[in-house]
Amino acid sequence: MYRGTSNPPHEWRRRRTPIAKIRYLALLLSPLLLAFLAPSAQAQGYPNKPLKLVIPYAPGGALDYIGRVMAQYLGETIGQTVVAENRPGAGGISGTDSVARSAPDGYTIVIMDPAIVINPTLQPSVPYDLFKQIEAVSFISSSPEVVVVAPQLPVKTMAELVAYGKANPGKMNFGSAGIGTTPHLAAELFLQRTGVTATHVPYKTIGQSFPDMMAGKIHFSFSSIAGALAFTKDNRVRAIATTGLKRSPVYPDLPTVDEALLKGYEIDLWLGIFAPAGLPADVRTKLNASLNQALTKPELIAAFEKVGAVPRGTDPAQSAALLKSEFDKWKKIIVDGNIKAEN
Amino acid sequence: MDALANLALGFGVALTLQNIAYCFIGVFLGTVVGVLPGIGPVTTVAMLLPISFTLSPVSAMIMLAGIYYGAQYGGSTTAILVNIPGEASSVVTTIDGHQMARQGRAGPALGIAAIGSFFAGCAATLLICVAAPPLAAIALEFGPAEYFSLMVCGLIAAVVLARGSVVKAIGMVVLGLLLGLAGTDVNSGIRRFTFGYTGLADGIEFVALSMAIYGIGEIVYNLEQKAAQADVMSRIGRVWPAWEDIRICIPSILRGTVLGSLLGVLPGGGALLAAFGAYTLEKKVAKPPRNFGNGDIRGVAAPESANNAGAQTSFIPMLTLGIPSNPTMAMMIGALMIHGISPGPRVMTERPELFWGLVASMWVGNLMLVILNLPLVGMWVKLLRIPYRMLFPAIIGFCCVGAFTVNSNMFDVLVMAFFAVFGYLCLKLECEPAPLILGFVLGPLMEENMRRALLISRGDPRVFVEEPISLAFLIAAVGLLLVVAAPAIRMKREEVLKE
Repeated sequence: MYRGTSNPPHEWRRRRTPIAKIRYLALLLSPLLLAFLAPSAQAQGYPNKPLKLVIPYAPGGALDYIGRVMAQYLGETIGQTVVAENRPGAGGISGTDSVARSAPDGYTIVIMDPAIVINPTLQPSVPYDLFKQIEAVSFISSSPEVVVVAPQLPVKTMAELVAYGKANPGKMNFGSAGIGTTPHLAAELFLQRTGVTATHVPYKTIGQSFPDMMAGKIHFSFSSIAGALAFTKDNRVRAIATTGLKRSPVYPDLPTVDEALLKGYEIDLWLGIFAPAGLPADVRTKLNASLNQALTKPELIAAFEKVGAVPRGTDPAQSAALLKSEFDKWKKIIVDGNIKAEN
Repeated sequence: MDALANLALGFGVALTLQNIAYCFIGVFLGTVVGVLPGIGPVTTVAMLLPISFTLSPVSAMIMLAGIYYGAQYGGSTTAILVNIPGEASSVVTTIDGHQMARQGRAGPALGIAAIGSFFAGCAATLLICVAAPPLAAIALEFGPAEYFSLMVCGLIAAVVLARGSVVKAIGMVVLGLLLGLAGTDVNSGIRRFTFGYTGLADGIEFVALSMAIYGIGEIVYNLEQKAAQADVMSRIGRVWPAWEDIRICIPSILRGTVLGSLLGVLPGGGALLAAFGAYTLEKKVAKPPRNFGNGDIRGVAAPESANNAGAQTSFIPMLTLGIPSNPTMAMMIGALMIHGISPGPRVMTERPELFWGLVASMWVGNLMLVILNLPLVGMWVKLLRIPYRMLFPAIIGFCCVGAFTVNSNMFDVLVMAFFAVFGYLCLKLECEPAPLILGFVLGPLMEENMRRALLISRGDPRVFVEEPISLAFLIAAVGLLLVVAAPAIRMKREEVLKE
């Protein structure tokens, strides 16, 4: 945009005195300097270079998949390439921290799941302040978890699961993807509200727990749909309910836990796009609008559905409010269940 | 003959021009990343995932699979020539393979590795055809107790396998176990031995540790030995092994293939465990024992056959159960999911062209690898002619890049630097690093499974002897221990090793 003034006619420049020359040069360079020094203050050009979407988990999971799909379609709506970069480590803390420390210019963003609000409660050593250093740009998807039980168990409904648990106190095992992960806390909330007792058996990923569930060693789990789908499709484990307030399009015949047993029980395995706190207002608006526009594309909706996720956009105010309410909701489960990562 | 009809369908898919091309791209890239230490199949598959979105699912899987088993071929090349395993599964190949190279027999070592790998690859492909469904059932029998006992057996095998002093080998295994303890404990979520570093929250990075010890530590050690260097450079030997070499290797290749195929099916071990297991077995049963550890060609043939067979059969649990046996398979599941295919027994019935096309492409890919590798061995051998003063900085560069790219984290490069010093000290003290690596890899899995088994049994340790498969592994482990401990056999063993 400065190309017009940077190449003046030759004669014109030759007549200048040295002082005038300097003054002229300064004049010439000042907009460039300004643009250089304060790129975030002048956001009308945003985005004028590729964006980086940090995926704080290793490649291969549902979040990685959604992240890559999101990067592709966000790139189309925002008009710049969005590069997805895996930055795994410490349950998403490493990648999130790298973004929290980045410049709030809208070029570095991160996709995260509820672990972003769970980690600060569970881990005393989270290196960033969730509410001071990170802001939610938009939530992008909702996905319930699915309650699955071992095929050997004489349980076909939530009520029967509770009855079986009460008849066999302390004998059941439930699988999870580790301490403080959503499958663990969702099951914990279920136990808290029903008074059933069961032993928590953590795995590294929920997928690893399915062979033991097929063998009847693990009795139930609250799994992500992406993790459970392959095993429920051919009834190697039995799905009995989903955890949203509405039925899942992936399991339209299954009741929700809310309608079948526990009024108000809702676990949403949402995903959201987060940025370093303090984005310039226009960058925030542009990024949020581009995300929401991408979320309406039929190809994206179809791609999300493969892992059981439903696109859902939020405006910046809704995003901030949701971040707070989700933080409080998970914190309550952790505190009520006296769950500690380090004790 | 269902298997034949299925294979015919598979070859129909694999032999289209397009799929042959993707197969070639896969195995070629696989060989290259296998040769380069530190850049493994996981990284490569991750880098190529976005490209695979644009291909048909069959082509994508054929290409990604090619990278994985191609890397097993390439990994042996650097193991033999520069004593750096390109892949973890080539660690044992360094023992005899590099000794052969030092004796001027790098050519036959590379040749027998390619031949053994090709045979094992063909056999494993056939095995997948006829045995995928029943073998998948065996993997399903494995619960936490069985895994624990398998790992115990594996660790004791690591002691038996080590060169030199038993005490040092046990020390290295235990040290490996201790290093493996660092990181977040799965059962309690507690961070152990992280000293407040987030970079250690997931433990010490395997790639960084292995490259530090096998890459940098070795280089520093080698720099002290100037005489040996000139010797290697002058003599390579014929690539095609002599008939006598092939003849004595036939039983080793067969044993390696069988063991590798079986271990490959089990989640957790795959090609790595297969190679270690095959080498141990070979030292026990090969006659005459001659000089394992000092350049015995069978010490190359067996593990190389085993790791390739293992690499291929590790597709069985992935394709039939949707259970990944190693990180690369986890990536493949991710790739399948992106194409809207849920891995599981239904893949075989619902998408037969995908399943059998992939199986057939493995055979095609193995043929390509032999054609690609035997003539290229000459080129890889030229690596030896590169002066060390140029080769070594390049390897250190690759190692740093490799350590960084795993997690895009500088911390891992620092971890590598730290363990490079440690690795050098180990070599100076004549402590074999292989048991350490095995302890490091298997230790966390062993602990995780032991505690999981005890959680499920409510703390009752009898679970390990009540499950028949678990009991069998424990008995085997005790047997191995007796072999090491028995004075007569121990003397014989030391005799053999110190020859």
